[in-house]
Amino acid sequence: MKIGVLMLKYPSDHESSVFSGVIRFLESWDVRVDVIYPEDMVIHLSEVRPEHDLYVLKSRTEMALGLAGMLHAAGAAVLNPYPISAMLRDRITTTRMLMAAGIPVPETIVTARPEKLASLLSTGPLALKHFRGSMARGIHVVWDAEELDGVPSNQGPVYAQRFLTTMGIMRRVYAISGQVFGVRTELYAATPDGKAGEAFTVTPAMNDIAHRVAGAFGIEAFGLDVIEDGDTVYVVDVHSFPSFKGVPDAALRLADHIYHACRRVMKGEPMLTGSGGGAS
Amino acid sequence: MKALVFGPGHIGCGFAGQLLHESGHELVFAARDPVVVDHFNRVGRYRVRLVGQGKAQDVVVDGVRAVSTREPERVMEEIAGAGLITTSVHCANLPSIAPLITEGLRRRKEPLNVIAFENMGTAAECLRRFVAECGFETSRHGFSPAMVSRVMSERIGDPASSEPLTFVGDHAFETIVDGTRLVGPIPSIKGLKVVHDFEAWVQRKLFMFSAGHATTAYLGFLKGYHYIHTAIRDPEIREAVLSAMREGQQGLKARYGPEVAGDESSLQEIVARFENAALNDSIDRVGRESLRKLQEKDRLVGPAKLAEEAGVSPEKLMLGVAAALFYCNQHDPTCSVAREEIDSSGPGKLLSEVSGLNPENTLSRLAVDTYSQLVASRGMGSEGSEGPLLSLDRFFWA
Repeated sequence: MKIGVLMLKYPSDHESSVFSGVIRFLESWDVRVDVIYPEDMVIHLSEVRPEHDLYVLKSRTEMALGLAGMLHAAGAAVLNPYPISAMLRDRITTTRMLMAAGIPVPETIVTARPEKLASLLSTGPLALKHFRGSMARGIHVVWDAEELDGVPSNQGPVYAQRFLTTMGIMRRVYAISGQVFGVRTELYAATPDGKAGEAFTVTPAMNDIAHRVAGAFGIEAFGLDVIEDGDTVYVVDVHSFPSFKGVPDAALRLADHIYHACRRVMKGEPMLTGSGGGAS
Repeated sequence: MKALVFGPGHIGCGFAGQLLHESGHELVFAARDPVVVDHFNRVGRYRVRLVGQGKAQDVVVDGVRAVSTREPERVMEEIAGAGLITTSVHCANLPSIAPLITEGLRRRKEPLNVIAFENMGTAAECLRRFVAECGFETSRHGFSPAMVSRVMSERIGDPASSEPLTFVGDHAFETIVDGTRLVGPIPSIKGLKVVHDFEAWVQRKLFMFSAGHATTAYLGFLKGYHYIHTAIRDPEIREAVLSAMREGQQGLKARYGPEVAGDESSLQEIVARFENAALNDSIDRVGRESLRKLQEKDRLVGPAKLAEEAGVSPEKLMLGVAAALFYCNQHDPTCSVAREEIDSSGPGKLLSEVSGLNPENTLSRLAVDTYSQLVASRGMGSEGSEGPLLSLDRFFWA
């Protein structure tokens, strides 16, 4: 079994500890794992061909996504599937998909001209995000029309969502093979413990949302940023293959998920099962 | 000597067939599926891939042929000329081969041993009874059950093709048979261990290895794993499995003494076998037929009763029982039967019917209480979906 992992090269003191554990588990099961750093490569498109039974798209960079796309086009199996990973980079399409699946999302508006959002600010602030990407970085909360002047209009569509406060606590819901987990992180944590996150028991609504997302996108390893507002849980971001930091036994669970997907590919079966071993 | 093997599946080919071949027997399979019969007659060989401890060894079993059970005359001819019969057809199929064996035995003057590689202590006696019910006097012939030590996990290949099939298993090769039920010279088979207290050795395998295997599968299922080798690396599952096997071992020690029960190293060896990733042994394969595995004398309730008799509270074995009640697999119809029964009448009634546990019995109450705790810890989904089980220790998380 040969698995290629498309990763971003971190400084040695900033390695993804969960994924390092995943690789250790896979290697202990006699899986050959090749870590591929797309940013270090010079790629001749004509020479791209699958050399592994499965590729795992762990990095979120455009270069990694591009390489995953080339491999996908060449017939490689990529986890999470390349078309879905690419779609999840586009907040506009992703949000519309969430809505279509009946998943609560905050009121969302897209415009090429930021100043057009001014009239919407009378009913509350907006959170502006770049339409591509899935990281919480770069979110700009706008309360007054004057603040819209500083928003660049030459970087593609402006994606705006009605701002819902997190009260400084980010709740992330993770799913692996049909199992759903919650991890709460202090956004402005000063201590490593606060940054690492704390596990919490997911509510029935969060569990339901996670299963709907899995069904809508056809993925089984992902993360959701959620905000509870009253009785409603809103999804504000979907992450394909995030860090899974804070999930109990995350490395073992992910290794099991990847191993199972690879086995299925090698047996000529669909890569994903539609539900995990423990899903009902 | 010719050996006729009924059932060329995982055990028939991957275990019995290989050991018979290595012991110098001519190998003939009797199969129901004409595609399989045709395959062996065309290809004439197969492989057994023995995996573990980081290495894989392919053993070629050649010179094999097959006859179809749809051609009774040919099967009877093979029986008439055989030196040994083995079966590995699954107990439920023994009645269908009994008439063939009966008619074959009628044609013989010499006694013959029939060894049932069915991993069930009563299989050979059942087969003997089915043969007797066909109006045949069986006393001249031997009917012994066999306990198989090897884990056989999968078959690779398509019988419709001309590529040899490959059967994957671990390196274990011991077979335990009941010496009191064999006749004449003991068949020469590599790894054959003839015992006269067969029940004790059956229980040793069932109440330690099989109990641990099943507990790993059912707890692994609850925690969302797909493979035995991953589930056993979950620290909580590993501890629970070791504890369940210790409970069974203490019961065995009290009943049969230390030679049968073994020691802590026996349990560690079993866990090491569960860690064998090269087997690709799935939770689905080990967990299937959960209702059968919950029977009174089977791998979970059986050792629990023995442990209780020895004064040991079988808490982790009952955790395995409770977890088994959650097991579902869309390809296993018995799961939906169990689910419906639990939903309508509760786990206590199901355990009463399947496991013979009186609802007032301590074991039944322990299993039902554990089940209720698991329900409470998982009942967070909607529309029938269930949440993850995150802690076997406290049954809840955060």
